[in-house]
Amino acid sequence: MAEEPGSYRKLRSAGGYQVGAEPLEVTFKEIGKRGQRRLDGYEKATGKALYTRDLQLPGMLYACVLRSPYAHARIKLMDTHLAEALPGVKAVLRFDDPQIKGRELNGSYFGQGWARPKSAGWALKPVHLVLADEAWYEGQPMGAVVAAESEEIARQALSLIRIDWEELPFILDPEEALKPGAPILRPGAESNEIHDPRKYFEEGDVEKGFQEADQIIQFKARRRPHLWAGAEMPSVLVRWLDSRLELWVHQQQPYIAKQLIAEWLNLPMGKVTINTVYQGCSFGGRGNPANSSENGINILASLLSKATGRPVKMLYDRRDTFFGESGDMAFSDFKVGFKKDGTITAVQIKNIFAVYLAATGIDHFVDNTRIKNLSCEATPVDVSIGPAWWARCEHLPSCLSLTLVFDHVAAELGMDPIEVALLNDGTHGYSTQYLDQYKREHSFPERDSLKECIEVGKRAIGWEEKWHTPGTRKLENGKLHGIAFTWDHNWDDTRGTGSAAVMIENDGSVSIIGHHVDIGPNPWTPLCQIVADEIGVPFESVHIKPWTTDSGFVLMSPDGSCNLVTNGNIVRKAAAKARQLLLELAAEIFEVGSPDELELRDGIISVRADPAKCKPVREIVAKSMPTHVSSAFWTQPPIIGWAWHNQGIWGQANETGRPRLCRQAHFMEVEVDPDTGQVEVTRVVNVNDVGRAVSPEGVEGQMYGGTTMGVSRGTIEEMIWDPQTGVLLNGNLLDYKYATLLDCGPIDTPFIETGLGHGPYGASGIGEATATIIPALLGPAVYNAIGHWVDDFPITPDKVLKALGKI
Amino acid sequence: MTLNKIADSYLCPYCMVELDGFNSLRAHVLAEHANEPPPLPEGVIQLTINKQAYQLYIQPEWTLYHVIHDLLGLTGTKLFCDQGVCGSCTVIMDGRPVLSCMTLAIECHGKIIETIEGISADTHPLIEAYIKHHALQCGYCTPGFIVTSKALLDKNAEPTELEIKEALAGNLCRCGTYPQHPKAVLDAAHTLRKEE
Repeated sequence: MAEEPGSYRKLRSAGGYQVGAEPLEVTFKEIGKRGQRRLDGYEKATGKALYTRDLQLPGMLYACVLRSPYAHARIKLMDTHLAEALPGVKAVLRFDDPQIKGRELNGSYFGQGWARPKSAGWALKPVHLVLADEAWYEGQPMGAVVAAESEEIARQALSLIRIDWEELPFILDPEEALKPGAPILRPGAESNEIHDPRKYFEEGDVEKGFQEADQIIQFKARRRPHLWAGAEMPSVLVRWLDSRLELWVHQQQPYIAKQLIAEWLNLPMGKVTINTVYQGCSFGGRGNPANSSENGINILASLLSKATGRPVKMLYDRRDTFFGESGDMAFSDFKVGFKKDGTITAVQIKNIFAVYLAATGIDHFVDNTRIKNLSCEATPVDVSIGPAWWARCEHLPSCLSLTLVFDHVAAELGMDPIEVALLNDGTHGYSTQYLDQYKREHSFPERDSLKECIEVGKRAIGWEEKWHTPGTRKLENGKLHGIAFTWDHNWDDTRGTGSAAVMIENDGSVSIIGHHVDIGPNPWTPLCQIVADEIGVPFESVHIKPWTTDSGFVLMSPDGSCNLVTNGNIVRKAAAKARQLLLELAAEIFEVGSPDELELRDGIISVRADPAKCKPVREIVAKSMPTHVSSAFWTQPPIIGWAWHNQGIWGQANETGRPRLCRQAHFMEVEVDPDTGQVEVTRVVNVNDVGRAVSPEGVEGQMYGGTTMGVSRGTIEEMIWDPQTGVLLNGNLLDYKYATLLDCGPIDTPFIETGLGHGPYGASGIGEATATIIPALLGPAVYNAIGHWVDDFPITPDKVLKALGKI
Repeated sequence: MTLNKIADSYLCPYCMVELDGFNSLRAHVLAEHANEPPPLPEGVIQLTINKQAYQLYIQPEWTLYHVIHDLLGLTGTKLFCDQGVCGSCTVIMDGRPVLSCMTLAIECHGKIIETIEGISADTHPLIEAYIKHHALQCGYCTPGFIVTSKALLDKNAEPTELEIKEALAGNLCRCGTYPQHPKAVLDAAHTLRKEE
């Protein structure tokens, strides 16, 4: 009756991804329902929800790590005697301990592909040791780590460590770092440039494209580094037992954490248990398992637990979170050729990134435009600041490029930017006719996503009445009104792999089994909605057990905008298998020839031909296995179906055979004070084509949440280092500001559902898009208000006043 | 003041007046302090948290957050910025919202404190309103918002949207749930008025 696990090849095909729309076979009762009570709501609202930071174990010690006070320095001598002698200190581990000395933070997990350490910037640098004697940036965890009876004692012990430092030259500016004569930060390297095999990208013939153009423009843009600064600061709780190792991590990708820690400690993975509780937000940033704040603290806390024989909780404080949680900074040069009607013939981009992992900036011109001639040169550079990492999301450079190029072209031509967008929409150099043909051939609805998004958005913001030539509308309050539009494909990131089981228990209730973390988007309610509809049971009877890797199944981590898109498909397949097993059993009990003769709805199985013959699910499950009379009082084993699913290849649409079909359009109004330069965002309208909204409130939450973060990034967020010392000046949430409830005007989120996504039921992702696009939209919005471009983000009052010629 | 010193010199433990012998100390205490509760040892405070009386030994550097979260296990009070910026550690003290990460516990003797655990035990309508309106995502900052909102509603049963926004402007939410909070608080205020 149960399906035998097959060969790897068979499993691969069973989990492989689809090209083309899948026929809808399920009746939606829960899926798409508004007002479904979220499963995590009660725990979170009452404060009962536990986060890693909240956990304590009996006898637990507290651990803290030393950090470099210099932007670049080496330890010549380190004396830890005073720290070791402090009452309450239980262990001090040093960089020169044999078990630590020279050990790299990253294992073989990052040894392959384009993300290999040699090519991928600070975050994955081979010289990035778990505890180094040389600091490459101020704030780098290094030198020593202490475990003590309290956090205060641990920090006091760190302050008692005496160090003889050798200060070394540092450099903060990526452009300066590339100049001849700049101090070389990596020993043995010839320049500060990080070799990246993806440095050059070209499609078509850019020179030819410029020759075809009626007009060519060139401009520069700059994006300064911002930080995601999650609510819950990093921590880990570890219990080393000789027979096994148990961790409670604050991490987005716990299975990778297991892989990394097992490899580092040379333990079989089977001996490592990773547990997770709720995660105090993440946005991808807590998804860098190779960073010090993730794998680093896991390793050090494990070593301390082994050394002391006690559970160890390692903690970062708020300033610590400023090192390793930043986004990238970018210096961009644009050259764009276009015809008088708005057809763009060539785009050339040169990007310099600081301490960043692999991001070109041209991707979205490839994915959702018909522009044939594209080139991009992306140069990652080492500088003396902490590693940057993808956080909502790695497409920040691409979104900035797309918005600025389209809005600059429209401005040069005096055209409505919406017309320029529609004229260039497409994919991989092909027009929307190609997309229409693709939709027909692959059973997708023939809808024009961009046009639909634009129509909805234009109405919502009042585009026709409000759009005006730049710098021409002064409001009664003396401020300058600006309005802007941008667009993109919706995040249909087509990657992600995972597995889960769906278990129908003896009482007829249903559990989803698979390790997964909740970083905030209400991920579990929609999975339960899907399983309820797929099996035909009430939503209230479905639950999820996501808390540990020991469950054996691992759902896709919540990143890449493929949390629901991948996991929805996994649980859908597992539910279908469990349902099939249940109905096969029911067919025997009802004595009908085939499960097809049965119906399962609202938790009741009935015979189609004779609906009076019916039983609740629980009565069928209880008979799932033949039982000896002597053991009849034992609980029967539940019914389990499991499945895995690969949502696709991590890459651009042409690699997956699935061009991006869903679009999004965004509109913003600002008021700029010409006397102070203050930019106030008074209205935002997001229109995302999410394909299918399994949880409408969940979709909206990601849209207004991302908008708030995006407005904050575009107007106020910036990390600032002292040029004299290389020390971060605003490493706290008082001086590094981000948006409060009063800092953004009303946000409209009229999403549309075309069914054009490659996810379950035609769904597409939503977690990353708005936060990544909205910062760039500040550029054209301020341009429309003041009539001058401020292509330097965040757009702060000083830059606005400078553009207005007032300072 | 050590106990030895008190024993040697016959200091009154209530008012620190020095007396010349045990009998006179006894007579003084019976005459002057008979109706007073016994004095607390140094470092011990009494306070009420969620309607329950506590007597706690406090070290002078401990914050109220540390006592509530780490020692009493009331983990709904959260540490987010650790600097009095974000409002996640908010508790209600004598009717006012205060930041427990910026409050020394030793100064809280005699205070009446309410945490998110107390508010949820009383099934305050804010809890259901926050769930219903999705005024939470990762949930880490949520208790701080609800406690601040409760303090507002205690004083102002019919707040306007602007009053709610101003009351909650000191609470940070990185997930950007902001648009939902005024809706949830207005809804809860409405429910409270109906209940009365």
